[in-house]
Amino acid sequence: MSENLQKTLAEIDRIEHQCKTSLAAAAHLQEVEKIKTDYLGRKGSVQNLFALMGRVDADEKPQLGAALNRLKETLQAEIDNRAASFQHQPMAIASFDPSLPARLPAMGSLHPILQVMDEVKQIFTAMGFRIEEGPEIESDYYNFEALNIPAYHPSRDMQDTFYLNGKYVLRTHTSPVQIRTMEKQKPPVRMIAPGKCFRKDTPDATHSPTFHQCEGLCVDRGVSFADLKGVVQSFAQKIFDDKNIRVRFRPSFFPFTEPSAEYDFSCIFCKGKGCRMCKNTGWLEISGAGMVDPAVFGFVDYDPEIYSGYAFGMGLERIAILKYRVNDIRIFFENDIRFLEQF
Amino acid sequence: MKVTLNWLKEFVDISYSPEELGNALTMAGLEVESVEKIARPFNGVVIGHILSCSKHPQADKLHICSVDTGAPEPVMVVCGAPNAAAGIKAPLALPGAELAQGLKVESREIRGISSSGMLCSEAELGLTERSEGLMILDSDAPIGADFASYLGEDDYLFDVNITPNRPDCMSVIGLAREIAAISGKTLKKREIKLQPTPESLHDIIEVEIQDAKRCYRYSGRYLRHIHIQPSPFWMAYRLQNAGIRAINNVVDITNYVMLETGHPLHAFDYRHIAGKKIIVRTAASGESFTTLDSKSYTLDDETLLICDAERAVALAGIMGGLNSEVLEDTENVFLESACFEPTNIRRSSKKLGISTESSKRFERGADPNGTLHAMDRAAQLMCDYAQAEVVGDAIDVNAQAVSPRIIQLSLGRVNSMLGTELSGKEILALLPALEIKCRQEDADKFTLTIPTFRPDLERPIDIIEEIARLYGYDKIPFARRAWLDQSQTINERIVFQDHLRTILAGLGLRETLSLSLVSPAATEPFLPSGAKAVELLNPLSTEWSVFRSSLLISLLQNTAYNRNRQNPVQRFFEIGNAAWMQDDAHIEKKQVVGMIAGEIHQPAWHDKGRAFDFYDIKGILVQLFQACGIKGFQFKPAAEHYWGQENSSVWLNESVCLGAFGRISEPILAAYKIKTRDVFAFQLDFDTLYAHRLQHRVFDPIPRFPSVPFDIALLMDANIPVGDVEAAIWQEGGTYLISVQLFDFYQGEQIPAGKKSVAFSLTFCSRERTLGDDDITPVVTRILSHLHEKYGIELRPR
Ligand SMILES: [Zn+2]
Repeated sequence: MSENLQKTLAEIDRIEHQCKTSLAAAAHLQEVEKIKTDYLGRKGSVQNLFALMGRVDADEKPQLGAALNRLKETLQAEIDNRAASFQHQPMAIASFDPSLPARLPAMGSLHPILQVMDEVKQIFTAMGFRIEEGPEIESDYYNFEALNIPAYHPSRDMQDTFYLNGKYVLRTHTSPVQIRTMEKQKPPVRMIAPGKCFRKDTPDATHSPTFHQCEGLCVDRGVSFADLKGVVQSFAQKIFDDKNIRVRFRPSFFPFTEPSAEYDFSCIFCKGKGCRMCKNTGWLEISGAGMVDPAVFGFVDYDPEIYSGYAFGMGLERIAILKYRVNDIRIFFENDIRFLEQF
Repeated sequence: MKVTLNWLKEFVDISYSPEELGNALTMAGLEVESVEKIARPFNGVVIGHILSCSKHPQADKLHICSVDTGAPEPVMVVCGAPNAAAGIKAPLALPGAELAQGLKVESREIRGISSSGMLCSEAELGLTERSEGLMILDSDAPIGADFASYLGEDDYLFDVNITPNRPDCMSVIGLAREIAAISGKTLKKREIKLQPTPESLHDIIEVEIQDAKRCYRYSGRYLRHIHIQPSPFWMAYRLQNAGIRAINNVVDITNYVMLETGHPLHAFDYRHIAGKKIIVRTAASGESFTTLDSKSYTLDDETLLICDAERAVALAGIMGGLNSEVLEDTENVFLESACFEPTNIRRSSKKLGISTESSKRFERGADPNGTLHAMDRAAQLMCDYAQAEVVGDAIDVNAQAVSPRIIQLSLGRVNSMLGTELSGKEILALLPALEIKCRQEDADKFTLTIPTFRPDLERPIDIIEEIARLYGYDKIPFARRAWLDQSQTINERIVFQDHLRTILAGLGLRETLSLSLVSPAATEPFLPSGAKAVELLNPLSTEWSVFRSSLLISLLQNTAYNRNRQNPVQRFFEIGNAAWMQDDAHIEKKQVVGMIAGEIHQPAWHDKGRAFDFYDIKGILVQLFQACGIKGFQFKPAAEHYWGQENSSVWLNESVCLGAFGRISEPILAAYKIKTRDVFAFQLDFDTLYAHRLQHRVFDPIPRFPSVPFDIALLMDANIPVGDVEAAIWQEGGTYLISVQLFDFYQGEQIPAGKKSVAFSLTFCSRERTLGDDDITPVVTRILSHLHEKYGIELRPR
């Protein structure tokens, strides 16, 4: 053992003893804090000893290092013990004010539309539907043709479309995902497709060029319109958490369903008695649904003689507006923190 | 389609109230958008009989009329209408009366003659837009009677939203048929009796269809000695309420019959039909044509035209030509009632940008067998209201005869599709009201004959919809099925996305949801090299004319929006799609993007706060990777120029890049008018993250033996990245090294220039036993000598 190492080890013993003596003499917590700084602080005695490492031979460094680490640990424990002996004395009453504001950790949040989407996903997942997704830039084929909406057909006017070059569009609904899923999978199929859609609507309180839809599809043997009514009613009662919600189906027209329907929920505000929100009808218009048109099955090679199916859609903004009593759809896309933090 | 209740009542008895009728139509799939009582915006108007009419001594264009109102003394009225004449009856507004547009009638002097009222035109009464002369009433109108009562009971206007599959319902008769079907009444049919002269049309007009694919049928009649004049009030009034302006009797009759029957008609001035010939052909490419509203169009070779021997006279099914329009001096008319192929009409209408009442009906599909009825109904009205003489037989070229469709229907199929238990009898009770002929073949099979005005009924499923509609959707039960026996698999990609959302919200970021459309200027800096923006061909505005090339654009917009509103602490994330064009193909990518800007929190009593920095965004990212179970990533400088100097990209190996993060560059911040420099963000590729996520977590046993810490303070060249040193420590750390923490970092006065001081706390632990000095000392020696050899790093001297 070199002389330097011996000297340093002796110094370690001395410092340990000195520190313990000082601690024993300390009269209050502040003194312990000072001792801690003197010995363990960045410029304290222990740190100074670490600096002496350079003086010993390379092969002795580990031994010295271990001794220093032990010293550091010992002193830390002694100091902590001594400090603890003062801690159980009550804090000076005058300095404790529980009404001072809390220290708030950073808090995030999920977007209200996507929270509604999460709920919709949960409800349908529990009913055995798989969640599917597809691109927002869609081909004319998936967005229109395979849904039985040929070019130059008046039903194209039902949706104002953003067109891109080369027979592509921004999808006007999530129905293309139904086609993509049926192309991949033979019946039975039970799926929902939530996602972003686009229509060339000038923004106002009820329109936005970007909006969110969730469409559902069920294809199997013997699936009927009564099944569609049952599923939609089940959904209505779950999403608004009210067993008394009634669902009304009205005949309508969509190229991809036959029979087609618009469906309404009994007004959640007035329980169907009639109010301003439901224009005194007792009903809130929600969206469209129907039995999958056999022509659509033709595009995905399903035999309409064997299988039947239903499809339904819903606008997530519409449901969010009803759930949260929001009066202007545009606020969802402003992303104002004062709005986001409410959800 | 706008239609009045009284017009409907001509064809069906209606026992519903207007509101009930609106509801019943809506529940039958004919959505009634509004039911309005038709206003009669006047009061104090009586029926006057003009006893005498003389010229005003001071004004050429004014008359002085003595009007009998049933009172003992006639009323003297000054009137400027050109058709004022002794013997006619007209509405007279008495002093105190209020007319349309708030006009108040008072006794006053007009050029020296006192006038105690006002004889009214239809426009002044707010009934139609016709203002050229007095409204002339029937000679049997009761003198002095209240004019509003004389007009009859209140009428109601129904605005019905007709879905594109129902051309038949774009007519009064079609809607009346639906009302009859839902209320169990009978549709009243109109008998038409014409008395044509026994001449041959051979020398008068000839019709030739050259394009039988696009023109199914062309019928026509020649009408002679016509008197063009205003159409009767009731006709003009119904047209007005339906949203069509009255023009003259002939034009009004064609429009009236179109509304009534759903079949568009066109009347040509016969004198302008050259060569006594009508030819139906397609245009030559580049051929030009001027429609009757004086607009010129250049046509392509798919546009169907109605021509005479020399030139085109109408855009078939869309609009007539200026060159053959019926005018004030028209005497003889050729009346067209044709049927065209719907898709071609739709195509031409879209291409030329002309949508008319006529094209709207033809593009949905008019009844090829409805041409004769509509034509003869119009001819009859022209006889009655234009003194026309019908000459000879009708012309009828039926190029493609369309016969009623036959559909076989199975009752079992109806019930399995609807989930009902309907009987054959019930079906037989429903369909005939729609003029569908039904024959029951056996207990299950029906043979149905479909009228040609229902082109939408092609297949059994279309009939099933009709049955459901008339039976009532609300009578179909709500079935409850349990599906859980064959539940679907979970979509892992969605689950992962939702996991990321939860983690990011847990890390203190607020989820945003943005419009995906941005401006070309916004998207440009974020396009990958060589890529172009995905442009909309028909944007709403330049601001929203391209698809976002990065979600950073959205978060910058959201940050700017909130900072402009003094909302403190911007911490956002969004998961969504970005897109760009690469080699003429679009690429759509899902991105995970986060952004923090400005101050870490508002100044508080316990902490004044500070600005966000690079290590804050790095921290969020490292935590996110930890939550995804992604390990072994490396940091390299990022290449994209939208990052400021403090930036980094994250790599899993030489070829897999997860994304990049850092400070947003100053030019970008300036473009968004964001004042703080401290805006940090990350942008990750969702699918790369998804592909490299830890799929199955396996429990790593917690060591039962105590761990041993060992601190080392190092002095090293300032330009050596700490990350490299940390990696080197791990490399030499052996199996017992479980943690390397940088606990001190210092550059400054006590340190030689060009050097920095770093201190690591190393922790060693074994799963088998408690470690002693003998285990750790050699490892630390190895680490230190390796650091010295590789980087010249020394233990820090004092
Ligand atoms: Zn209500």
